[in-house]
Amino acid sequence: MIQTIVYGFTIGAILYFFSVGLALTFGTMRIINFAHGMVYAVGVYLFIAFLKVFDDSFLLALAASVIAMLPVAYIIERFIIRRLYGEGLDYAIIATYGVLLIGTDAIKMLWGTTSQPVNDPVGISIEVAEFGLPVYRIAIFACAVVLFLALRVFFKRSIIGRIVVAALEDSDGVRCLGLDVNKYFSIIFVLGSALAVLGGILYAPISSAEPYMGFHILLLAFAVVIVGGMGNLNGTFVAALALGMVMAITGRFWSQAANAMVFVVMALVLIVRSRKLDTD
Amino acid sequence: MLQICDLGVAYGHAKVIHDLNLTLNPGEMVFIVGRNGAGKTTLLKTIAGLLKPMKGSITYNDQSIAGQPPEKLARLGFRFVAQDKKVFSELTVRSNIELAAYGAGEPMDKAWSKVTQIYPKIEEFRDMPAGNLSGGQREILLIGRALVGDPKVLLIDEPTEGLAAIVIQDIFRILSNMRNAVSAIIVEQNLSIVKRLADRIYVMKEGNLIREIADKSEIADSTQLETYL
Ligand SMILES: Nc1ncnc2c1ncn2[C@@H]1O[C@H](COP(=O)(O)OP(=O)(O)OP(=O)(O)O)[C@@H](O)[C@H]1O
Ligand SMILES: [Mg+2]
Repeated sequence: MIQTIVYGFTIGAILYFFSVGLALTFGTMRIINFAHGMVYAVGVYLFIAFLKVFDDSFLLALAASVIAMLPVAYIIERFIIRRLYGEGLDYAIIATYGVLLIGTDAIKMLWGTTSQPVNDPVGISIEVAEFGLPVYRIAIFACAVVLFLALRVFFKRSIIGRIVVAALEDSDGVRCLGLDVNKYFSIIFVLGSALAVLGGILYAPISSAEPYMGFHILLLAFAVVIVGGMGNLNGTFVAALALGMVMAITGRFWSQAANAMVFVVMALVLIVRSRKLDTD
Repeated sequence: MLQICDLGVAYGHAKVIHDLNLTLNPGEMVFIVGRNGAGKTTLLKTIAGLLKPMKGSITYNDQSIAGQPPEKLARLGFRFVAQDKKVFSELTVRSNIELAAYGAGEPMDKAWSKVTQIYPKIEEFRDMPAGNLSGGQREILLIGRALVGDPKVLLIDEPTEGLAAIVIQDIFRILSNMRNAVSAIIVEQNLSIVKRLADRIYVMKEGNLIREIADKSEIADSTQLETYL
């Protein structure tokens, strides 16, 4: 059971890394960004390529691929997302879904369709109550907690963070102060993309990389963002961990249902929430 | 200094403002009165750059500004205080002003002193989330926020709407202290405020300004104005 809980926290942590960007782009730009899955998957494949370049140095390859994806994210924001402001949600879905398909096919062309394993960079397990717990999984969870705290500080203290918090609530109000919200949304978009890549890389040693990895996590992350409340950062954190736990616990008893259960929980949350709205 | 000619504004296919003309002179406080749905908010939002005009021109100091984005107009000195009294509720009161100071490139001390000057009591709420403020305090915070930087044209939408009589007095005092210092277009339905502050009044109806009242004795005669509300 301890093992299951640790696994739940690990999956939750990865979901959190991925969902933060999704939640922020929805909250600030009102855009459902399927391209997030493309950035995630391509970032991981780049990481695997960089591992060879950097002689299997996990940290160097991680830094290189995150940095390499920053301009990609910027270009997606600048030339695709920004043109979709004020258009309907459907346009955004079609355009960003196109980016996801292109990315997935590019991966298949460049790296093939077989999944690519990645070695556990720590490779040590600790014994807890006769179970082996990989230190690496605990480290991932620790990273997510650090990220959560760092983002809290960022959005509370830094001027950019506060501008974004203000724009989440009233972007017209922010613009009328002479602040170009697009610039800040760009920064946030690139930040969110970098975090998705980071999450993907941290997850790769556990899951291995395959071309459709972007699709799979995207679906789960939609559930996280919906349960957590669009654009709600604390909610995203709690929802990611909770749904990660749902996956791990379901998976322990009935592994085929692990993903499906996430959506069952999402549906329940939506039903309860709409009941609440009705009674209010 | 602000000149609007033949302005037309629409939401999609629904035309809301037709062939509207308006002038605002330096240091003038102009009021717009008119019934619900007349298009008053639409007009202010268009001047502030939040809505793009379908036709017509808006010039400010001989420069065409129609269709410019709001952040650019803010840098020219336009300040819009919206009708919904929406502050950045999760940020502290001080942070609300800090963003304005940052946007205007004004030191925070100076920005904050402008707010405390119009409403000293705001010090007590400095570090509270702005969402905790009462409606009147929010409106005052928004007016204070509009004074940060170098405001040239204030656009204030129904500042006293939904407020208690005591707070309305505060707002009246604040607006009256601003007279002559800035130019302002204020939408207001409270005629006792309008007649005491207005240099000129426009009456708006169905997307147009149907009357302009500039004569002092006419302005003071609120029974006549009431017929338009
Ligand atoms: N976003 C919108 N989309 C479509 N129509 C709108 C929109 N906003 C306002 N309208 C319509 O435009 C007209 C003018 O609205 P506006 O808000 O400018 O009026 P107003 O004079 O400010 O009214 P109030 O006194 O209620 O504030 C109304 O008929 C309104 O229904
Ligand atoms: Mg209005």
